[in-house]
Amino acid sequence: MASYIIRRLLLMLPTLFGISALVFAVMAMAPGGIGANLMSRSGDMRPEERQAMMAYYNERYGLDQPMPVQYLRWLNNISPLGFESLPGGGRGEFGLKVPDLGTSFVKNRPVLDLIGDALPVTLLLNLLTIPLVFAGSIIMGVYTARFRDGAIDVGIGTANLALWSIPAIWMGVLLIGFLASEQYLKWFPTSGLSTLGSGSWTFLPERTADGWRPGYLLDLLWHLVLPVFCLTYSGFAFLTKLTRSSVLENLQADYARTARAKGLSESAVLWQHVFRNSLLPLMTVAATILPGLLIGSVIVESIFSIDGMGRLVVEAVQMRDRETVLSITLITGLLTLASYLVVDICYALADPRVSYD
Amino acid sequence: MGKRFSARDLLLILFLGAILVSVWLAMVQIDRQWVFIRETQQKLDGQTRDIAEIRRQLRDGVAVAGRSAQDAAATDPGSGFYRAALAEARDDYARGDWLVNAFPSSPQRLTPTISTDTYASRVQEQVLDTLLTRDPESLEWLPLLAASWSVSEDGLSYRFRIRPGARFSDGEPLTAADVAFTYRFIMDERIATPRFRAYYGRIAEVTANGDEVVFRLDEPYYGALEIAGLLPIMAEHFYGRYLQSAEAAEEFNNATGLLFGSGPYKLADPVNWTPGQAVELIRNERYWGRVQPSFDRVIWKIISNDAANLTEFKNGDIDTYNARPLNYRNLLADEALMSRVRHFEYQDARGGYTFIAWNQRRDGKPTWFADRRVREAMTYLTDRQRVVDEVFLGYAETANGPFNPLGPQNNVALATRGYDPDRARALLAEAGFEDRDGDGVIESADGEPFRISLTYPSASDDYKRLVLLLKDLYVTAGVILEPEPTDWPLLLKAIDDKTFDAISLGWSSDFEVDLFQFFHSSQNGPGGDNFVSYDNPELDAVIEAARVQLDENARMALWRSAHEMIWQDQPYTFLLRASRLDFIDARIANVERVRAGLNRPGLWRMPTEWYVPVALQRH
Repeated sequence: MASYIIRRLLLMLPTLFGISALVFAVMAMAPGGIGANLMSRSGDMRPEERQAMMAYYNERYGLDQPMPVQYLRWLNNISPLGFESLPGGGRGEFGLKVPDLGTSFVKNRPVLDLIGDALPVTLLLNLLTIPLVFAGSIIMGVYTARFRDGAIDVGIGTANLALWSIPAIWMGVLLIGFLASEQYLKWFPTSGLSTLGSGSWTFLPERTADGWRPGYLLDLLWHLVLPVFCLTYSGFAFLTKLTRSSVLENLQADYARTARAKGLSESAVLWQHVFRNSLLPLMTVAATILPGLLIGSVIVESIFSIDGMGRLVVEAVQMRDRETVLSITLITGLLTLASYLVVDICYALADPRVSYD
Repeated sequence: MGKRFSARDLLLILFLGAILVSVWLAMVQIDRQWVFIRETQQKLDGQTRDIAEIRRQLRDGVAVAGRSAQDAAATDPGSGFYRAALAEARDDYARGDWLVNAFPSSPQRLTPTISTDTYASRVQEQVLDTLLTRDPESLEWLPLLAASWSVSEDGLSYRFRIRPGARFSDGEPLTAADVAFTYRFIMDERIATPRFRAYYGRIAEVTANGDEVVFRLDEPYYGALEIAGLLPIMAEHFYGRYLQSAEAAEEFNNATGLLFGSGPYKLADPVNWTPGQAVELIRNERYWGRVQPSFDRVIWKIISNDAANLTEFKNGDIDTYNARPLNYRNLLADEALMSRVRHFEYQDARGGYTFIAWNQRRDGKPTWFADRRVREAMTYLTDRQRVVDEVFLGYAETANGPFNPLGPQNNVALATRGYDPDRARALLAEAGFEDRDGDGVIESADGEPFRISLTYPSASDDYKRLVLLLKDLYVTAGVILEPEPTDWPLLLKAIDDKTFDAISLGWSSDFEVDLFQFFHSSQNGPGGDNFVSYDNPELDAVIEAARVQLDENARMALWRSAHEMIWQDQPYTFLLRASRLDFIDARIANVERVRAGLNRPGLWRMPTEWYVPVALQRH
């Protein structure tokens, strides 16, 4: 087992190398180049400023060098083993160092800082959304299988299909228009993650002279309701269907018939025997959770004015922000590979028939 | 696998999860307390310093300056504060309440000199002061941090006397040394501000001498007073430590929220702002100016979605809303909304213009547009009034040159060419373009049909409608227009490589526009903005003369003759200047149209003239 894990870990290196080389080549071939971005972000920048900025970046980051050289330079920067780069541009000694993801030329900030700003927000949203989607889908999947072709099955199936068909961009605008507008119902806030001035509120609800104040925590949750709903509702359809077919298959399996023949009640058969076995296909899907935690939804984030990973990535691609795109691809790639490895190991642990040696 | 997973295990896992979440919440809570403690500490420090200062003054027996004399000075039209003083004298004037605005995306950093977006400069206008300001009506220079200023005979040195009593928001005095430091800071190679250096490099040195500071130039430049007068003054005692070493400079280059100054507002924490959160400025209680700021807070929320932005404005959660023409007209019909907001349509004296640029040289060869008659014909074919009426619903003005009609550079004697397809056809025929085969499309002498592509930014809906209208107009004269919507990065590349026939864009503008980088023939290489390869030696000479002419009247005369040459040559077809369409909550009083646009706070780096009467205050 240990040798298998080591082999897999070593195999990740060429894969990551391939991913980064591919992305780098695509970004390098994309028209527009890095220099052009310097103006697009800040519409008011005057030509002489742009020229000065270009010269500065060329000198500092070697952007005027040929692409292969730039790629090697970038590889050196992100690898934990290599030449140190000194502030101001020079090259230091060879050895272990802190990997440097580089600086976004569009946003003029280190990529690590950009990710550091966006990641907690996306994690918060996804840590609420993913369990909700899984819990809801599993419950609905089991019941639709249990009452196959009954009213519940048809009802839930239709409702899920309908929800799945509604685009989030439309749903979001409708929710804001009807549930967050003074003209209709002002139940929820329209944007952001906190009310203005909530920074100085107490953490838990408190009673003030003007009545109840929700407190920081409740305020945050209140702001999260609409975005989380928008992220959740369309996710049920796929997982419910997956659970349903898996449960159905197991309900007809020999062991389920044996269990029924033993005289077990139908609910004992379902929950104690069939349910466990039906969860295996969900495990494969769960492999995507780890990288999925990092990936935000650009649509929901834009509608509710939340600065998460989704907007960061999409804006970076639109603006040809090479360093940001490369870094995020690399991190997501790393996590995807890691989660595949974890799932493979889990299979071996869960199923004694699977062996990798 | 002896033991099976039971309900008790599930409960245990949930219980553990709950404990973890509580621990995490507790950490968040303690973090918030730290922020609060830090702010309190900063406030306390400031107050301690104030008390010490008052003690010292009491001990030294410093008399309190005669307030009446100061009052008189403030209402004097020669002072930067007189408009605010007039507002303050009104009966219902009151301090308090918040002004809440929205940005469509977060500024990337607020740190002065290294920030690049317009949003950051909107915030900095309220926090950093400059030596001079402009009168929003007459557009004349007025003193702000400078008590007075003078220019030497040869135009090479600018002398400012710093106003006594000017202070930063922590109570430290603002001196001439801080002005000299700001220049030194910008010119330091370790600081990542090449764009500021591109301007301030014109200034040879800045020296402080007592309460005087002198900017010296090597050669005269007409914009020197503006460059010097609008330098945002940074505090040496706050920013000085970032020049001490390369590491410290690097720390500055990566800082997102190092914003500290002497302006009417300040950040509660001048060090730790990070992008993504709303920008919240609080009143600078130690503001040095005669008129204190009126709002307690000036806030910019970050609202990226336009529907959400409008909903918040309708809910009364934000106070200002900038609309597009169609949206503006629809909102005017909303009576419930109109009863509690005011609306303004105005031309900004710093507003830019939209144009079509005709490329005169492509792949090293002159194009059809190298012929002046063709360009003039295209202008005659462009029905600008219809563009204004149909694309911008009338909320724009037609343009005939690069200068704002509100400013003195504009040559009012020049008439805008009207729509005249017959004249256009005649001019094209004169230039050798005629419909030789009767298919309705004109051809050049060697039989090539007159087909041009018009590149425009694909993201904008206004441009799309504009280009479709032009396509219809041009085809009546036998000109085939092929719209070419293009992404920003690609569009800029097309400009750099000059691989386009015609391009439609907008330039932003200022009170006084320097034509050098747009139309001087030396600027058609890489980096310059004369991307149409326009070359007129006479115009070059006029531009060069204007740039070194320090006498304002003589210079304006030169600019006006440059305007006429451009009007003759039509290197661009100037289209229009879009109006700004603003809605502002009606509880805000004293919102006024001025020659420069709207008297919005921050525009002139002086305390806001806007206020909210006590009865209407909301926050």
